[in-house]
Order: sequence, then C-alpha cells, then structure tokens
Amino acid sequence: MRKPRYPHLGRGWRSALVGLGLAALSPAPAALANALHLSQEPAVVPCALTVRQQPLAEVLASIEQQTGYRFLYVDQANRLGRRISVEAPHSNLQAVLQLVAAQAGVQFTVQEKRILVKATAPKATADVPVKGRVADAKGAGLPGVSIRVKDSTLGTTTTNDGSYQLSVPNGSTLIFSFIGYVAEQLTVGEKTTYDVVLREDVTSLDEVVVTSLGIPREERELGFANAKISNEQLTEAKSNNWTDALSGKVAGLNLIRSGGGPAGSNRIILRGESSLAGDNDALIVVDGVVLGGSSRATGNGSSAYLQSESPVDFGTSLNDINPEDIESVTVLKGPGATALYGARGGNGAVIITTKSGKARPKGIGVTFNSNSAFESISRWPDYQYEYGQGSAGENYYSYGNTADGPSTRSTSSAWGPKFNGQSFFQYDPATNAAGTERTPWVAQPNNRKDFFQTGKTFTNTVSIDGATDRTSVRLSLTNLQNTWIIPNTGYDRNTVALSASQKVTDKLQVSAKVNYTNRASDNLPSTGYNNQTIMYWSILQVPNGNLDWLRDYWAPGAVGVTQRYPFSSLVDNPYLIANEMLNKSNRNSLTGNVQVNYKFSKDWNLMLRSALDYSYEARSQQRPKDTERYKDGMFRTQSIFSQEVNHDFLLQYSHTFGKFDVSASAGGSSLRNRYDKNELRAERLLYPQVFTFANSRDLPIALPYRADFAVNSFYGLATVAYRKFLYLDLTGRQDWTSTLATANSVQASRVPFYPSASLSTIVSDLVPLPEVVSFAKLRASWARVGSGGTTPYLTAYTYAVATGFPSGLSNPASIANAGLKPRSTESIELGADLRFLRNRIGLDVTVYRNNTSNQILSAPIDRSAGYNEVVINAGLVRNQGLEIQANGTVLANPQGLGWRVYGTFTANRNKVVELADSLLTYQLQRGPGGRGTVEARPGGSMGAIYGRGYERAPDGQIIYENGYPVLGDASKYLGSALPQWKASAGTEFSYKSLRLSVLFDGQFGAKAYSLTNASLAEGGKTTATLPGRYNGIIGQGVVRNSDGTFRPNDVVADNIVNYYTIHYGRDNVEANLFRTDFIKLREMRLDYALPAPLLSKLHLTQASVGVYGRDLLIISNWPAFDPEFGTLNNGSIDLGFELGQFPSTRTVGLNLTVGI
Amino acid sequence: MKKLLAYAFLAAASITTFSACTKGFEELNINPNQNPNVVPEALLAPALTDLVKRNMDRAFRITNELMQVHVSRVDNDEFHRYVIRSAEADYMWNAWYTQLTDFRDMYTSASAVKSSAFMSIARICEVWTFSLLTDTFGDVPYAEAIQGRGGVLLPKFDRQEDIYRDLFTKLEEANTLLKASVNLPADQAQLDPLYKGDIAKWRKFGNSLYLRLLLRVSNRTDAIANGLSPQAKLRDMVNTNPGDYPLIADNAESAILRWSGTAPYQSPFQTYRTADFTSFSSMSEFFINNLREWNDPRLAKWATISNGTYEGIPSGYLPAQIPAAKSTYPTALMTEPLLGNILNYPEVQLNLAEAALRGWITGDAKAYYETGATSGITLWGLPVPSGFLANTDVKWDPATPEAKRLDQIHLQKYYALFFTDFQQWFEYRRTGHPVLPLGPGLRNNRQMPARINYPVYVQSLNQVNYQAAVADQGPDDINTKVWWQQ
Repeated sequence: MRKPRYPHLGRGWRSALVGLGLAALSPAPAALANALHLSQEPAVVPCALTVRQQPLAEVLASIEQQTGYRFLYVDQANRLGRRISVEAPHSNLQAVLQLVAAQAGVQFTVQEKRILVKATAPKATADVPVKGRVADAKGAGLPGVSIRVKDSTLGTTTTNDGSYQLSVPNGSTLIFSFIGYVAEQLTVGEKTTYDVVLREDVTSLDEVVVTSLGIPREERELGFANAKISNEQLTEAKSNNWTDALSGKVAGLNLIRSGGGPAGSNRIILRGESSLAGDNDALIVVDGVVLGGSSRATGNGSSAYLQSESPVDFGTSLNDINPEDIESVTVLKGPGATALYGARGGNGAVIITTKSGKARPKGIGVTFNSNSAFESISRWPDYQYEYGQGSAGENYYSYGNTADGPSTRSTSSAWGPKFNGQSFFQYDPATNAAGTERTPWVAQPNNRKDFFQTGKTFTNTVSIDGATDRTSVRLSLTNLQNTWIIPNTGYDRNTVALSASQKVTDKLQVSAKVNYTNRASDNLPSTGYNNQTIMYWSILQVPNGNLDWLRDYWAPGAVGVTQRYPFSSLVDNPYLIANEMLNKSNRNSLTGNVQVNYKFSKDWNLMLRSALDYSYEARSQQRPKDTERYKDGMFRTQSIFSQEVNHDFLLQYSHTFGKFDVSASAGGSSLRNRYDKNELRAERLLYPQVFTFANSRDLPIALPYRADFAVNSFYGLATVAYRKFLYLDLTGRQDWTSTLATANSVQASRVPFYPSASLSTIVSDLVPLPEVVSFAKLRASWARVGSGGTTPYLTAYTYAVATGFPSGLSNPASIANAGLKPRSTESIELGADLRFLRNRIGLDVTVYRNNTSNQILSAPIDRSAGYNEVVINAGLVRNQGLEIQANGTVLANPQGLGWRVYGTFTANRNKVVELADSLLTYQLQRGPGGRGTVEARPGGSMGAIYGRGYERAPDGQIIYENGYPVLGDASKYLGSALPQWKASAGTEFSYKSLRLSVLFDGQFGAKAYSLTNASLAEGGKTTATLPGRYNGIIGQGVVRNSDGTFRPNDVVADNIVNYYTIHYGRDNVEANLFRTDFIKLREMRLDYALPAPLLSKLHLTQASVGVYGRDLLIISNWPAFDPEFGTLNNGSIDLGFELGQFPSTRTVGLNLTVGI
Repeated sequence: MKKLLAYAFLAAASITTFSACTKGFEELNINPNQNPNVVPEALLAPALTDLVKRNMDRAFRITNELMQVHVSRVDNDEFHRYVIRSAEADYMWNAWYTQLTDFRDMYTSASAVKSSAFMSIARICEVWTFSLLTDTFGDVPYAEAIQGRGGVLLPKFDRQEDIYRDLFTKLEEANTLLKASVNLPADQAQLDPLYKGDIAKWRKFGNSLYLRLLLRVSNRTDAIANGLSPQAKLRDMVNTNPGDYPLIADNAESAILRWSGTAPYQSPFQTYRTADFTSFSSMSEFFINNLREWNDPRLAKWATISNGTYEGIPSGYLPAQIPAAKSTYPTALMTEPLLGNILNYPEVQLNLAEAALRGWITGDAKAYYETGATSGITLWGLPVPSGFLANTDVKWDPATPEAKRLDQIHLQKYYALFFTDFQQWFEYRRTGHPVLPLGPGLRNNRQMPARINYPVYVQSLNQVNYQAAVADQGPDDINTKVWWQQ
C-alpha cells in the first residue's frame, strides 16, 4: 500500500509569490520596446558576475547590488525561480544582461536607472535539442519514463531502449519520473546529451509488516499472504464499528455484521468458515494482547425469534478500539501466517498496532480530529398503503363493536377495506376508545418511517505526541457521542490511549501501551423478531395506524401500569419499547502491555512482555408492567468480568554468515483467561416502574457462570535468507491447554505440535524477466494449527443446575469426552506478488486449501440414548479459495495529479468432506420456529439451507390444488448462505491538495431467508400481495389431473389471504429465500488538505477537511433492508435467516483534522 | 555471550518440564458452574415439573385439536383435520427421553443411598413417562435406552408388548418398595412438588397408573402383567387383593402438579402472550355443547362467553373456510393450578367403571361412573348442579346398550382429562369413545391418527435399529396401529 506522492511545492511557490507581489506594487510600464533596447550607458557600467545554477531572482538581486540599477518585473513570475549560470568575471552590464536574457528567457528594457524585466515570448527563445538515455541502476534502459520540462507543458517519454529526444528552451529543468523510482531533475546547459540513472524507490518494496507475536518482518521475505491496512484507510469513512472499514480492502476477509444497533458487532471471518461448532472468528491481537475474553460473543443468550427475551447487541471490545489510535492493521489470513499462535491460530489473525510517539519538528505535536456522522435509512421494503387493517373479506372497519358491525380492530393484518375516501368508526386517541362518529378512512404512509430519526455520531480526538532519540510518548483522548436511528438509543464512549517508550541505556528499552475505554449506554435496542423489538412492531404496524396515536404510551391515569396500544394485543407500543424497555450497559475495559527489550549484542536480543486484556461490564434489562412478554415487569442485571493475562518472552538471534542471513527466535508464554458473569433476575415486579431486586415479587434468580482456562507454550522461529532473494521460514509451537485436562489427568492437555514452513523467492532478482515484469515474488507455505481449544469443561460429566429449583439438578444434554483434542487445520498456500511496468501495476494472487479436521462436534445422537449430543472429535471441512489484490497507478505526476485504482477478488469454496460415522447431517442453525435449517451434510457446504418448499411438477412448475399452491412436507435443499465470491474496486484521484476516493464492493452467490418479507406478506402489507384482493387470483402453475398429468392452473383462489400465506408465508422457506447479492457504494470521500505555505502562516503542521459517505448506495434485490446481514442468536451472529433486521443506513460525515 | 545465552535458554527449556506446563490444570478444568455429583431428591422436582409443562404444551398444541377441545382458526394448522406433520414428533421424543434420563438416574442414586422411597418414586415416574412414549409411538427404545453415558449411543427398539411387560414389573416393584417405605424427611419432602413426601399418596398414584395402563392394554389377553392377563390383574388388584393395591381415593389424592404461580411452579402458559393462548383458536362445538346442555359449571372456567352465551365452532372445517371466532379459552386458564394434571381421582373412578362394565372386575359400574362424573366437577371446586346425573347424556341407564354406557363413561373421562397430556387421544384410539363429530375438511382418509411417526432424525442417527423397528411394527406413519390397538 503506497501513498500517492505529493510534489514538493516549497521553494517554487515562495518565489512565485514574491514575484507576484512585486508586480502588483510596481507601476505598469508605459511602453515596451522590442527585444533588448539598451541605452548606451549599460555597456559601460561594469558588472562582474560568476554564478552557477542560481535562481534568476538572486542573480538579478546581485546585479542590482553591483550596479545600482533596479529591476522592474512584468509578468515573468515563473521565470524568477529558473536557475542560470553566468560566467562573466570582467564584463559590463549590457553583456551580462544579454547572457542572462538568453538563459532565463526574459527580455530587459533599460529606462534610465530602471530595467524592465519581461518574459520572452516562447517563440522568440531558441530551443535547444537535447537527447539521452534513461537507465536503471543496472544500466538497463527504462522505457516509458516520463520527461517533463518544469513549469511548462513540454515533455515526452522514453522509447523502448530508454532513449529520448526533445527540444527545450535553454536553461530548462527536466524532470524524469517513473513509478517505483525516485524522480531526478537536471537543468539543460551547454551540453545536448544527458544520460540519467534512476534509482528504485526501495521504500515501497521493503515495507515492514507486523506478524505473529508482534514480530516485525520485511514484506518481501514473507512466504504467506497478508494485508496491511493503514490508519488512513480505516478512518476514511468512519462508522461506529471501525472494522466496517475492512470491507472491500482485504481479499479473503468476510465481515458478518449483526446490524444489531449502534453498538453492532461484526465477526471477522478469514478464508471461510471451517468450524462446525461455530467459533470461526479470527484471532484479534492488539499490541500483542489477544482480545481473548472481552471480545467474547455479545448478546444475552436469547435467540431472535419470539423467545421470552430478545438478543441485545452489547458490542465487543473489538468494536471499542478507537480507530484514531490505530497505526496499522495486519491481516494474517491463513494458518501459514498464524502458526505461531498454535492452538489459537486456526482462524487467521488480525494484528492491530496502535500508534506511538513520533519525532516532531516542534518537539511535540498536537493533533485534533473531529468527526460528525449522520446516519439515515437507505432502503425500505415495498409497503402497500392501499388497503387498511382487517382480516380476509372484511369490507368495513370497526374499532370495537359498532353500528357497522363486530370489531375488526384486533388484527394486525392489512387485508381490510381499500382506502376509498369512505369513513368508519375508528380509534379516537382523545377518549382512548372508538370514536362516536365515523372518520375518514385514510392511509398513513409515513407511519413507520416517521418513527425513526437521523442517527448522529460525534467523535472528537486530541492526541499529543513527541519523541527524542531516547523517549517517545503519545497520549490521546477520544470522546464519542452517538444517538441512533431508533429514539432513545445510543451510547457514549471515552477512550484514553497512552504509549510510552524509553531507551534506558543503549541496550535496554522499556515500553508500555495502555488503552482504557469506557462505553456507556442508557439503552441499546433489542434485536430480532419479538415483542421487545421495534422491527416487530414495524412489521405489524397497520397502514391506517396513526403514529401520533401511539406517542402517549401509558393509558391515562395508569402510568407504569397499563400500556396503550389501540391495535393487536400481540404488539407492544413502539414508544413504550424505546422509552421503557431499556437495555443498559456500562463497560470499562483496559488493554495494555509492558515490554522490555534488552539487546545483549548486535546479534542477540531478549524481549519480555506482560499483556493484559481486562474488562468489566455492568448490564441491565428492564421491562415495565403490562408488556406482552412480562405482564408483571422484569428486571435483570449481569456483571461481567473478563480478563486475559499473558506473559511471554522471546529471545532473538540474527547473524549473517556469508551469503546467508540467519535469524532465529525462541520463546514461551503463559496465559490465563477468566470470564465471570453473574446474572440476577427478577422476573416479576411488585411495584410498577421500580427496577430493583428489592422490588422483586419472587425470589430473585441467581445465574452465576465462570470459565477459566490456561495455556502454556513454547515456540521457535527460524528464518534463513540466501542472498536476500530466497527465504525459508520454519516455526514450531507446543501448547499445553487446561481445557483438555480432566479432574484426574493432564495427559490430554498436551496438544499436538504445530509446525509451519514457508518459502519465498524473489524471482526477479534471480532470473532475468521480461521488461514488463519489474518485480516477482513467489511464495509457498504449509502449516498445521489448532483452534477451538479455549472452551473449558467439555471433558467431564456434570449435572446442570435446574434454574429456580431449590437444590435442583438435571442431567446434562451432552455427553462429555475425556479424550478431547483441539480442532486441527492443515493448510497449503501458494502465492505470487507481481509488479509490472516499473511497479505501476501490482498484482498479488494467492490460492489456498485449508482442511479442518478433528472438529469438536456436539454430535447429535438419538435422544433415546438419553442425551441430545455427544462431544466428539470428527469431521473434515475443506475451504479452498483464490484471493487477488491488485492495484494500478494510472497517473502520478509530480505536479500533483494522481489517479490510482485498486481492487480485490475473493472466491472461497466450502465443503463438508465428512462428518462422524453415524452422522448424515449436522444442524448448524434453525430458522424461525424450526422453519428451515442450515445443515452440514457430507458433500455439501456449511451454508446449505434446507426447508419446505413448493410441490412441483416434473417440469418444475408449482402445483396448485383448488387454486392454492401446495407445499411439500419434506425438507429439501434450497440454496447456500455462503457467498461464492466477493469483489471490490476502488479508485483515488488526487490533485494537489484535493483528494477523492471511491470504493465499491459486492458479494455474489448466496441466499438467505427473509422473515421480514414473510411476515409482511402474511399480513398483506407488501405490494406483492395486492393483486386479486377483490376478485381472487389464478396462480401461475399447474393442476394435477386425475390421470396424473398436469394442466395449467385454471382454478381461482378466492381466499386471497390463504393464497398469499401459502405463497409468501413463513412456512414457505423456498419462497422466502432471496439472493443476498449486492453491490454497495461502500465509501466515498473528498478531502482537502491546506497547502504548506498557508499552514506555516497559521502555525499548523497539518489541516485537512473531508466529507465522506458510507454505504451510500445499495444495489440489490433483497426484499427487506440490507442484504448484508447477520442475525444475533444466542450470542452468535448467524447467516442464513434474517429475523426482523434493522433498517440499513447510509452515513454521511464530515471530518476535520488539525495538527499543531 | 552468545553461548551463555544459548545455554541459559536450553537450561530453562529443560527445567520447564511437562509437569510445569500443566501445573494446576486438573483443578482449573473442573466446571464450577455444574455439579459432578447428584442426590436423588435434587433430580425429582426439575424433571417432573418440566415434564408436566411439556405435556400441557402438547395437550394445547395437539391433543386438544385432535380431540375437538378447541379448533385452530389458523388455516394451515391442520391437526383438527387429522394432519400431523412429521416434524411434530421430535418435541415429545426428546422431552420424554430427557426426563427419563433424570428419573433413571434418580433410581440409581437412590439405590446408592438405599432410599426405597426415591427408588419407587423414580420407578413410577419412569413408567409413566415410558407409557406416554410407547402409547404415542408404539415400539420405542426401552431396554437399551437412556444409557448413552455408558456408551450405548444406538439403542435398539423394543416391542410395545415387551415394554408393557416390564412397566408392570416396575410398578409392582414400586408398590412393594413403597409398602415398606416411610414418608420423606422434611428437608426432602419440600423437594417433592407432587405429594410433599407423602409415601402413601405416591403409592396410590403408582397403583392408579397401574390401573390406567392395564386398561390401556386391555384389548390384549396375553399374560403380560406379572404373569397375569390385564383383565386378571385388574381383578387381582381391585377384587382379590385391594389392600395391597391402594388407589387414589379422593380428589385431594389426585396426582396434580398444582401451579402456585411462583417460579419455578408456574404454568407454561403463564408466560405466554395472551393472544397466543386465546386469539388463534375457538372452543369446539362438541366440547361446548355437551357442557352447555348439562349446565356444567366447569364451562365458566374453561371458556369465555361469546355473544352472550357459550358457543363453539365446528372442527374439521374445509380449507380456507375459517369460522368466525366464538368462545375461547379464558385468560385465567393460563395460570390455572389444576391444568397440571397427571392422573386424577375422576379418571380412576371412570377406569373402574369401565372395568366393571366390561365385567373384568366385580363392582358397581354405575357407582364408579357417577362418582367419577361428579368428582370431575368437584375437583374444580364447583358444586354439582342439581339434576346433573339426570341429564339425558349423563344419566346411567342399565337398560341402554353397553356401547352407549361406555361412551358415557368416556365422555365424562374426556372432560376429566382436560389438558392431560395425550390421554384423551390414547383413550379414543383404544375405544373410539367419546364419539366425535367428523367435519367435512378431514384429511388422512377421515381416520384419527393411530400414532405419531418417529422423529425424522432418528432415521439417520439410529438407522439400523429404526429400520428393524419399522420392519417389525409396520410403516412409520400415523396410521400404523400400535400393539394394544390391534
């Protein structure tokens, strides 16, 4: 990843400004004669001048000094910077002026003691032909090198052998530039041949990346794929969860978003899902601290479909990292890169390095960054507002039993009468009962949209940093305030980050990094399809429901006791949900490390490090009385303490033996992880609106939960480089993990040895390649790593506590396994890093195959054996894929015009190769109420969706019976929830201080079930359910004749509710499965950075302002909101079934950065 | 320097032996959230409560629809049309075997501490649960079942006949053990939600269950009940050795898990959304009309008033012809203590009435019948209306054909079994009583389902044994008759 180069504007700018200023002050000359009108006098004025390559301005100044003549400047500003050489040690003014005029392209008019200076018309200047050859350091000619004449439009490029030829004004400056090389300048003098050697811009190739265990390595020597993301790329278009910014920037990375509100969590999946047990998330490492506990899956254990409680996304500590504090992120995609993480490296790793202090010109630097983001809803389902509330066939409306007929108010369906200007007895909010008079029957087309508001996030960061040769310090403070699109939801976050490093002696360096975050919310929205969720209400909202009728959500005189909701009794008032059903959270987290480096000698270095990831979170949920799920109210709290402490050491040795550079490291670590969650529940309350345990009607239920584990490890790493073009890496790690121990034995806790080997070679340094290839590296790696070893207590049979029962115990649902092993992933990866056309085009291609075996399966067994499942090691899942990252520089000229493009492509094929012996299928997910499943079956993928669908004739047409489509009882394969491929394309234009960047990304080939669509259709609320409301409908399909043949359906379905319910209702998994393909305009940003001269006037080191947009456009056929979703379920985020998702939003923001 | 460091490292590595790397791991991996040990009294209440809750849930979902207590007004819920989808099987199969694991474990742990009381309580609960299983599915895993912890993951299926034979053995065992048992001590008694440690009542429940199951298999005459035929065993229990087989003798002794409303003893419907319990169905015409005709006071507890009276809707209506809502369940039933019925006194009396009517025991069928019918009302704390026993359908007339009187017995039992797991359906399958009206929309050849299919997943997870069972019993569909029904 290279930054666009900005031209150095400094000096040229300054002299130009001076010139312009003078010109403005001088009186304009009355008349100007032809070239070089000199009076007699200058010829006798002595003038001695010997200058080499000095700017014209200085030359003229020196002439003024000698002769007493004054120069007057007219419209020649751009000539004053031109460097000229004059060799006239004993001359006169006239001669000198002649020499100067020829070289500088100006003409002089002497008027008494003044000399007018004017630019010569270009034609008048004699052009000098110049030629030459441009070559690289090895002497090979460079074709296509851009040659420009400074301050003019003249220019050319070199031919195939590197030679060039052009005519330029004498004294011009030529600029030779080429991508990947350091630009050269020269001034044309007497000579006519100028040969130039361009040096490679080595910095772009020797980029340093942070690898496993925080070891920095040069990118060129790595034998595995990685991707490095810079701070700018992360903060380009900020969202509340910084990991959103990884979308479209890393091939092979898949983000699964819960979309669960302001604190929405993302799962980061690298190279496909491989674990049938579900723990597929990449390892997250911040400054050497594994976020091992505090990033544990969020949520509260409820699933998303009509349970007594609904999941709430409380976010994870990964979300809470402040992107402003991130220096860079390295994504280590495969086991080849993460083998040093041993039993935890199976899912790849995301290595986050936070910023440190930097040396500043003024000693310290203060940077202020302010970001304002505004979030609004970007897509809606196709709601219908033509027909109002009512059940099938009701052609009138009556709120309660009235003169018009029995009450039709309690349904939340919209199969009722059309809005035709008629009047009915409707709800009267004044009396909270039926109106006494009929009122007009009208649609309320904004009665969902108006409930939501614009989400706002304001983030302000101040950071101070500085460094000397011995000390560096950085401190940053960030405050974030968010209000979300649902009223009364949002959160505040404060972050303090401190990084300090001190060289105590030349050998001893001590450094520490600490990040403290407090995140507090008075209400995070409940997610999913259930009474506590806004989206459930939004689906059940009736077209004639007036939002204003709902704002007073308590019945008059019954605050806290009786809620007011004039329609279906299945639904809670949305304002009651937003204002009274609160989910609170307050989290304090601290991550940090202290590190000591001791450099014994040039070759030996010892690193000792202690790292801590600590968090404490207090959560609570409160539900008032008279809510559908908690008629007597509810109050629950959870105190969650989580901590991971890791101590490690690494002894490093490096030495050069002739042509071999050898480095070897050996280290060890000791890790302790604790998670402690204490929950208290009052499931019924005594007094309304008092949310304490003292107000519990029943004995409060205590649900303590604790999990501890420890891992001890030794590891080693050796790298041998041969002549800096052939690199061999070997690593090995031995872990001992407590999760595999039993009460009687630790025999099993020694897990298999995890080795890896990788090889990379810089082919372009080894063999001559065609000119077009400027750099070529091939790499290969093999590794075996583990995962899933961090779940404790699977090895012993224990009785579960029967919640709520005094001394109650129950047998476990699962049979423990005393001989459990961690999951094992074996990976092969091949890759190439290619750069073409003098590094103008870069292409990085990787193919891989990961086989994950020894899956820790809770394998279902026949319940008649007494248990749901048995914990076993079995199964094999294969992920094979292709990753391409490409970038190209279309334009880069030192004048400041730049245009670069980049893109990624990812294809991953997931295959369940085998399960356990007796297992023909393994259920990974269940759809709403058991409608549909995601199942792993040998030969299929981990995203295979099964469910009920249409009965079809042999030619595939839907079979109808009595006018209605027929659903089969059997569950059949309907599609895959895993995308086949993902791609992104981005581009960036820069011109001087302006920069515009745009990023698109998309995914293709996956399907998902939409409950939002099903439920809306069942209620007659989508436009798809409009046809046939009065007259019935004849469905497209066939009818089975008595002889077994089929004829086109010709039977009218009169019951339109029944017809659409079979077609689109939630039981019909097939019809509710939609493609989740999308293309999103993911990021767009326009930046303006203040130019340096202005900055120095303002005494600033940097200042820039940017406007950006995120998810501005979604192109998709998805019927609900966002095709890119995950559903928060029991603490995991699942693909496959959308269960009342929140609206998709687009974010527009403004960002201001000022550095002092 | 280099060498020194290398040696230091090697030394460090070798000192850090195996044991150091795993120090404390045994203790660390002991689950602090669960208990490695168990005592019998800890298992009873959670298992029994959960089981009754699940049985009520299924009564609401399946039995009450098949047996025309209420009728769904959701067109694609088709139990009332005798459609049972294959996915319905899992819930009961999984729930019952889950509780059986606890009941069996209770027996094992009670044996270990030599608690005859808990051994017999465990046996009674186990027999009850297994009877539900085999009555629902027919042949099921029995002898090899619930032994997964011992490594039996693929239990073979047993014939229903063999299962019943063993169930009767276990009930004899329980009866014998209880005869010699004393009431539970206070600290254990409070953990018994059914009888508070009253051993005599448990014994009566066990024998009443014995009575129910003997009648259940009374179509057969094999000597399966501890060496006797069902009919002979009935006579043995009721006439020959009544002192050895005490039965539930009044409403108070009924096996009813009475919901207190306080956790954990809350009706499963207590946390339902009101609309889920009341809005998607109406009471059936059959259910309402009988009670209305008898002026039965239970009607006010069991149904809401519709249009000023009690009225039901027809069951088995044609697809897409959903009747308008009429009387529904009242919300008070959501917390009703008596819905936690397992086996009540009216049922015992009505079972005896049938046995007497059929001549298997000697006794006054009329007296049993009338006690059963009236105690069905008094159980609900309601007075028996005057002239109740004189109602046309209620009046016992020895002159009417036996079938008519059998129907009267079963009609009363139908109401006595309100919300009692699948008992109404089991009895209907055995006897064809009470005679239900058949609606025009019935499917399944207008035949009441004779069983529920095995869970579909068993076909793969226990394939060989499943196939053997199907080969022996007949096709795995809802119309294959179980052994006692043949």
